[in-house]
Amino acid sequence: MKFNKLLTLSAVVAALGAGPAHAEVMAEKGKKANLVLVPKFIGILVFDQAHDGAREAHEELGNPGTLEFIGPTPENSVAGQIEIVTTATTQGQDGVMLSNNSGDQIVPAAKAAREKGLTLVTWDSQIPSAEGEQVFVAQVDFDQTGVVMADMALSILGEEGGDFAILSATPDAANQNSWNAAMQNALQEEKYAGLNLVDIVYGDDQSEKSYNQALALIDKYPNMKLIMAPTTVGIVSASKALQDEDLCDQIKVSGLGLPAEMVSYTLNGCAPEFALWSFVDLGYLTYYVTYLIATGQIEGVEGETFNAGRMGTYTIHKDPTRENGLRVLMGPFSVYNKDNVEADAS
Amino acid sequence: MRLRAETRREGVLLLLIVLVLFGFSLVIENYLSARLFNRVSASVAILAILAIGQTLVVLTRNIDLSVGSIVGFTAYFVGQQLSLDNDIHPLVAVLMAVGLGAALGAFNGVLVAFCRVPAIIVTLGTLALFRTILVEYSDAQTILTVNLPQWLIDLPRLNVVSYERLHLRVVVAVMLGVAVLFQLLLRYSSFGRRLYAIGSSPEAARNAGFPTRRLVFTAFVLCGALAGLTGFLFLARFGNITVIAGIGQELKSVAAVVVGGINIFGGSGSVLGAVLGASLIDLLENSLIRSLQISEFLRDALLGMLILAAVAVDSVLMRRRRDR
Repeated sequence: MKFNKLLTLSAVVAALGAGPAHAEVMAEKGKKANLVLVPKFIGILVFDQAHDGAREAHEELGNPGTLEFIGPTPENSVAGQIEIVTTATTQGQDGVMLSNNSGDQIVPAAKAAREKGLTLVTWDSQIPSAEGEQVFVAQVDFDQTGVVMADMALSILGEEGGDFAILSATPDAANQNSWNAAMQNALQEEKYAGLNLVDIVYGDDQSEKSYNQALALIDKYPNMKLIMAPTTVGIVSASKALQDEDLCDQIKVSGLGLPAEMVSYTLNGCAPEFALWSFVDLGYLTYYVTYLIATGQIEGVEGETFNAGRMGTYTIHKDPTRENGLRVLMGPFSVYNKDNVEADAS
Repeated sequence: MRLRAETRREGVLLLLIVLVLFGFSLVIENYLSARLFNRVSASVAILAILAIGQTLVVLTRNIDLSVGSIVGFTAYFVGQQLSLDNDIHPLVAVLMAVGLGAALGAFNGVLVAFCRVPAIIVTLGTLALFRTILVEYSDAQTILTVNLPQWLIDLPRLNVVSYERLHLRVVVAVMLGVAVLFQLLLRYSSFGRRLYAIGSSPEAARNAGFPTRRLVFTAFVLCGALAGLTGFLFLARFGNITVIAGIGQELKSVAAVVVGGINIFGGSGSVLGAVLGASLIDLLENSLIRSLQISEFLRDALLGMLILAAVAVDSVLMRRRRDR
């Protein structure tokens, strides 16, 4: 009887374990894990910043193993990522950190990696079905992204609102699709009633396509007052297109951008407000999570709490934006306007 | 009246362009406007120059699939130089782009003409090679409009002549100049005629004592130089250049050439055809993204089908004329 009670009690404790009952894990340094950081593709500044953050954590943790930064070439992102994950598996690496650009097409390769005992953590962009993925390190809450975009639109267009369109990256990018969906959700709320989303178009993160799409939006929707581009490439291309057409006083640009790339457009009023988070921190946090799982210090299950060096304490939670899947949430957003953009541009 | 085959084909293309304009004007409100001409002509100009370069190579029974990477590389390199030193003379910047493009084209040309490697293999290789070098070279930095000299930022807005709201932009004038120059070169110079001869029958051209290797090499160099010029215009128009600039342009240039009636097996076709082919393709693409009814996902497929249809209609018409 007493034994039974004990069992019940331990079950309760285990159940509670999903909550804060787990003790905070402090990383034990100097353990070996060979890790691979995979960006969507190489040659884009934000991914290099994430690499810097991962390198910082790598040195701080004194991992005697290797940290490799391997990405596909830009024209071959989807197939290239699948190949890189597969190669990492056959090479016997210990973990992969993936900014997924391949939708669910990556799942078989990710599952194979897991079966061979690799740790698979996604960052920046998740695996939509969460299959083959242990934890997703989210830069910000994806529902929150939708609200931030809606808020920026509201602050630019004002109470009376108006027509606006979204200029996204590729239709395959899971993070982009989540944000666009989250924004559409957020728009249901009463205070955004004046905002009217007329179209979502894709510029494939290519300057020329994004530029042409922006021009087409202008022609298609004569009443459009704002282009919302949740991509660092799309937002500068749209700003350039509007500037070239002398339309900056009629149509504004907003979305997610890098201060260094946006500073001139923000100061001249083309893009009065935009947001972003730190990719250095994202790389740093992702490295911590992956190191801890790969070296067996945490399991990568719901409820575990760990210390991530200079960034403090984080907990693994269920990802509320996906049916399955776990998430470590980084946050927060920085919103930039003409008052603070210059300070962060250098 | 007997018309040259090329002239007939050019007529058909012109007709198709008019049909496309008419068709879209029925479904898109305010489609036919000065604005459309201004915006689409600037976009066409960039593709057309690339297609003219491609024409030179295709005439010799070769192909250059690396032009997309050459465009990206020169746009990035020249953009970087101009960002570092805003005082570089515009003419020097253009020469830099053309020279770099020609050098990359020469690399293709040596391998194809002198090492006898099939052009499709060589340029498929250099397509990836040039892009990878760019990725390494760029160190993940983006060329930003804010660092570029003012004259370059103003260039895409600069008009040569304007009639009411209709503008002939500088890019378009440059393209027309290039087209006239190369049309004359192909039509009347011995260099041009020999390119046709090589494409019609490489063996006969060799037997006739033409320096075929040198001619093929020159075609690749010129194609590279024009891709370099395109890279410069690309930089001026889009301003923000990342390592993926120009991806896919190689296929668009080949499509423009094929639609423009340049025989993919060499020996026939004209610069005017290439310009019309580029115009048709770019007009279609720009019209499709302006049309409300067509979803993002269907657009590429539709564009592909329209290109196939254009080629099919064209080849049926051509055969009819021949059979008669």
